[in-house]
Amino acid sequence: MAQIKIFGYTDKISVKPGDDIAFHVTADGTDTADAQLVRLIHGDEHPDGPGFIEQAMDCPANGDWDVKKQFTQVGSYLTVADPDGHLRLDGSFSLFAFVHPTVPQWGTRQAILGRWDITSNEGYCLGISQDGYLEFWVGDGTDMDYIRAEVPMLGNQWYFIAASFDSNNGHATLHQCSVSTRYNSRLGKVAPFDFESHVRETFRFRAKNSADIPFVMAGSRDFHELRGHFFGQAYCGKIDRPGIFERVLLAEELESIKAGDAPPGSGMVCYWDTTAGYTDKGIGDEVIDVGPHRLNAAGLNRPNRAQTGWNWNGRNDSFRLAPEEYGGIDFHADAVIDCKWDVIQTLRIPDELKSGVYAMRLRAGDGAGLAEEYIVFFVRAKTPRAKIAMLIPTASYLAYANEHLSFDAQIVQSMTGQPPIVSEIDIEMYQNEEFGLSTYDSYLDGQGVNLSSYHRPIVNMRPKARMSSMGITWQFAADLSIIGWLESRNDDYEIITDEDLHREGVDCLKPYNCVLTGTHPEYTSERMLDGLEDYVEDGGRLIYMGGNGFYWVVGFRDDEPWCMEVRKLDAAMCAWRARPGEHYLQSTGEKGGLWRHRGRPPQKLAGVGFISEGFEHCQPYRRMPDSYHRRIEWITEGIEGEIIGDFGLAHGGAGGIELDRYDLKLGTPPHALIVASSGGHTDNYVLVTEELLYAYQGLSGTQDHRIRADLVYFPAPNEGAVFSTGSIAFGQALPVNNFDNNVSKLLHNVVNTFSSDGPIPGERWVSRERQWR
Amino acid sequence: MSEDPKQRRWRNPIARWGRNDSPDELPIQEWQDPLQPWRENRAYKVRLFRIGHFRYYWKFRGHGSRLWHRTRWWPTRRRILLLRGGYNPKTLRAEKTISDKRPVYWIMAFALMAIMPFLVPQNLTNTLLSAAAIFAIYAAINLCWMLVIGTAGIYSLATYSVVGAAAYGTAYLSIQFGMPWWSLPFFGTFIGLVFGVLIAIPAVRLDGFYYALLTLGLNELCRVYVLQSRTFGSATGGLYGAETYIPQQWSSEHQLMLGYYASVVVMIMALSLYRLVDGRRLGRILRMAPEKREAFAEACGVNYRRARIQVFLISSTGLGAIGGFYAAHFRGASPSLFGIELVSLGLAMLVIGGMRRAEGVVLGTLIVVLVRDGLVTWGPIRLILIGIIMLAAVLFLRGGLFGIKPQFRAWRDKKKSENRSTRAEKGGEMLPEESTECRDKDQVYFRRFDKMQRDFLKTLVCDEVIEEHRRQPLGQHSEALERLLLYFRRQPQRDKYAIQAIEPFKAYRIVALSGHRGVAPREVEEKTYPSQAAAYHGVFLRRVQDLLET
Repeated sequence: MAQIKIFGYTDKISVKPGDDIAFHVTADGTDTADAQLVRLIHGDEHPDGPGFIEQAMDCPANGDWDVKKQFTQVGSYLTVADPDGHLRLDGSFSLFAFVHPTVPQWGTRQAILGRWDITSNEGYCLGISQDGYLEFWVGDGTDMDYIRAEVPMLGNQWYFIAASFDSNNGHATLHQCSVSTRYNSRLGKVAPFDFESHVRETFRFRAKNSADIPFVMAGSRDFHELRGHFFGQAYCGKIDRPGIFERVLLAEELESIKAGDAPPGSGMVCYWDTTAGYTDKGIGDEVIDVGPHRLNAAGLNRPNRAQTGWNWNGRNDSFRLAPEEYGGIDFHADAVIDCKWDVIQTLRIPDELKSGVYAMRLRAGDGAGLAEEYIVFFVRAKTPRAKIAMLIPTASYLAYANEHLSFDAQIVQSMTGQPPIVSEIDIEMYQNEEFGLSTYDSYLDGQGVNLSSYHRPIVNMRPKARMSSMGITWQFAADLSIIGWLESRNDDYEIITDEDLHREGVDCLKPYNCVLTGTHPEYTSERMLDGLEDYVEDGGRLIYMGGNGFYWVVGFRDDEPWCMEVRKLDAAMCAWRARPGEHYLQSTGEKGGLWRHRGRPPQKLAGVGFISEGFEHCQPYRRMPDSYHRRIEWITEGIEGEIIGDFGLAHGGAGGIELDRYDLKLGTPPHALIVASSGGHTDNYVLVTEELLYAYQGLSGTQDHRIRADLVYFPAPNEGAVFSTGSIAFGQALPVNNFDNNVSKLLHNVVNTFSSDGPIPGERWVSRERQWR
Repeated sequence: MSEDPKQRRWRNPIARWGRNDSPDELPIQEWQDPLQPWRENRAYKVRLFRIGHFRYYWKFRGHGSRLWHRTRWWPTRRRILLLRGGYNPKTLRAEKTISDKRPVYWIMAFALMAIMPFLVPQNLTNTLLSAAAIFAIYAAINLCWMLVIGTAGIYSLATYSVVGAAAYGTAYLSIQFGMPWWSLPFFGTFIGLVFGVLIAIPAVRLDGFYYALLTLGLNELCRVYVLQSRTFGSATGGLYGAETYIPQQWSSEHQLMLGYYASVVVMIMALSLYRLVDGRRLGRILRMAPEKREAFAEACGVNYRRARIQVFLISSTGLGAIGGFYAAHFRGASPSLFGIELVSLGLAMLVIGGMRRAEGVVLGTLIVVLVRDGLVTWGPIRLILIGIIMLAAVLFLRGGLFGIKPQFRAWRDKKKSENRSTRAEKGGEMLPEESTECRDKDQVYFRRFDKMQRDFLKTLVCDEVIEEHRRQPLGQHSEALERLLLYFRRQPQRDKYAIQAIEPFKAYRIVALSGHRGVAPREVEEKTYPSQAAAYHGVFLRRVQDLLET
């Protein structure tokens, strides 16, 4: 019997009672699974904490589910719906495009432009052969005929390619020319390559164009017995302004298209103007055909837009300045945005379900390891009643969704200072490209992954997941330690997610006196950041519970909130760097990178911002003199001694993993107080790159005073306030000794004060300090 | 532990910072200078040679902006020459290489065959022309044979008996019923087909030695039969008097010439047949299912039995036609066609030239026939010479004469690695000759740096360092341990150690990463470790061991 594996995802991540939520599940080795709705209380199984805690909940969807094996289309493509068969080119025709292949010698055939069926050998296609040569091929249903360029294609160079077929004499002609400039390609002019090739041969037959073959860019149609039709022969690289003519284009005409002129009108079937459709707010998946039939192409798995085109000249850095230079559409053979599995079950969220973190627990077989799945989702309150809310950083979960760092990133052991500890599920995820990649990975062609979605199983957004490269819990599972702490209080709390904040802005925060973030709310959209800022300004009280928060600019398209975009660039701690000129989000039109580089360092909101990271050792905080001031005595009430948090599930301390620091130059409000600071961090903690002007010796934990976590407090307008912990490990220190410890005590003090109505104590001590001692 | 006052100690820079689970100070060994290996290694320890080769074969220049019209072998999609375009790695010039030069050599060989009769000296014309005709006919036979023995990999020795049977049969028909010469190949075809069916049936069940024995028996059966049978000329030592295509009124020189050209045409037809079978689907199926690998082929969905029967029928039909031509060429047939010596001579032809290639068959046949029929004046010694050539081919050549090139390359590679192993240090710096094979010159430098690094790091390994790591695998470490760990952590992903959690906080195991996208890590040992810290230390010990071993 096959090994039992079960994985799933939901259509929505955040729901309210009364909403319907759909579960998409795939299973190997079983056709039934036992489903149980659970409320998640705590995840981390570290022996110093309370362990894994869940509560079974009644719901109509509990019981046996019929599950099945489901398949995922991997790779990004553009497909063209052509009901009238304009692209069934039975006579003479020409195809052309500008292309920028990234891995032409990858070892598999890559289809660029065509109407080709792999299994039946039918149709026509322009693409790249296994060994990296441009080829144009046709098939008549039994045999194929092809023509190939004289020299192989080079990766990361811009080419103009064209193929034509003359039905009068069977002549097939292939053209490959370089359009690389001083700016647009990897190599400059001094490398003495001759990229050009023009070849003509006589084909033995014409293409057979069956009606049902789709026209695809960056792929062609394949077939599998169980799965049916799908796309294969994925292409890695960019395509810019492709076109099709129902006649042989003359050499002069091709020359003029190559020079950037508009193609001639006569005989045009399609001409996809990939630069059309840009607005100030970005661009969607539809690629516009300006030809006579208006056969717009639709994107599958989000072909990447807003990428530089062949004519990008290095002067303009955004499609908003020069859309005509941004015709490049980037395709990746291993992109997955939406698994598009069938819905296995839907659930209407019961009215009595309290707001919280929930999961549908599926078990089959022995119900352990790969045979157990928690499909996590978040339930908000229909009408907010509680005074406390936790803002779940779902955008950051997306960023880390199914990260492959332990397996693919050579530098990760150097960063984390330890060998990774991988689980069975991590390995399954690594072997299975259908689960897609995180924004910490690169596509197989070396380009960074800038899109991530939750319409796929996210194996590290699971309560028992551990971050393999760091030996601790991370993001969702770490945030459950905060949830567990909230559960340990008698107060009510409710849940909101980044998605709600992005959609509704400050309105979704307003009902609450106090909002806590997750341990690592690193990825923030403009609307989210605005919402938080407005909330605090308006009198809200924010507890920033983590480190390295409010760091990256991300964007969502309004129609697809499940898919997040980030562009990593400039000086930042980043797993990859966007290519020159590709720094603006296609989803929103804004500049990507760090909020800090757009004038909004995290200090401006939270009083602290990212300074260092290290993953093998954490330190406690020690109280700072400010904590003895009467204004904030209430924070440390009941805490003995100066050391806070010399314990924790994350490498034994509350200060560590990623650290944030107070910095007046970056916008920490000048009246902010430092309650306590960590220190004595190991040399695995190194200063972040955005702080560096020059790199010099001594920028690590034991030698640089800036490397520390600051517990910062400051009051805000209208009785608002902000309290920041400045450390990821803070949250993981809460569960130690069953939530009874000085970190927990400190947080209770803050939350009790923040959630109560009326002013925060401490406002009476406003005079200049006049001291006798 | 007694304190040694001279023992050097490391003081933990974070000792004062609150956590009391890290050691405040530790015994360490003498400080080592990381620049020491750089002072010690200022030159290679072996003699260096100049590298670089001239190119002695022709490459076409790239076409660039010109339109390149390519013609094909009608009606296939094959181009006249299989050219591979590329960039010269040294100059980046676009250039084209003929990947398969055989068409060029064949055309030269055919041209030579066409003008051969006009080149031979007058006094040798008779001998050489008749020998050349025999060569062409034998080459044709051997080509059909190679389809069975080479492409299909079945040791059939009945080839010449099929030819003989067809020759005898058609000669008989011609003598008894006055069949014209042009009909003989057609009758031969039919006889060959019948024989093909006969020998194909056992081939489905028997293999290897047993099948060879069976076919040899068949051969012997025919020989004994024609030696005894009056009908087939037991008295005259052969059956003679068949119709021939050679006009008898021509001069003997012209007769020989016609015979020669006709035989060459037959050979070319056999070459085409060989190409059609071996180079297309049937040939691929057969090559996929050689003896002892049938089960694998069958599991892949290949119907090899059907393919084998097909190839037997095709080759026997061809052989039959050649038999018919043989009768028309020699005006009959002789029992020597069934002789064991012809079978062994045929085998010699195949082996000398090289199995599984048409050019090998033709060249082998040429050599054997030239010695046997061209050097008649040498007497019996020439047969010994053939034996010696064959023996030499079997002893020294793995793929016959045409296997010399790959064999030479393999030998040169072997010599190269032998020389390298005496000159280069394992994991050491790249020698100039090695660096020619490295595309990324950064790697050449990396090897130098890495060698220095490891030479230094080895001096840091000591009991104190290992004990320090055991006590605290994570956290602040002494300089020596920190340097070792930093080096280990930066290693490339392939075969880099990692830990797999069997059960979190209870059981861990050491694995090695694949370094290849999508490929799971492999297990390196059975041992399980009870905690994260124990597993970290297990990985460290393995890494130290690997370092010391290089």
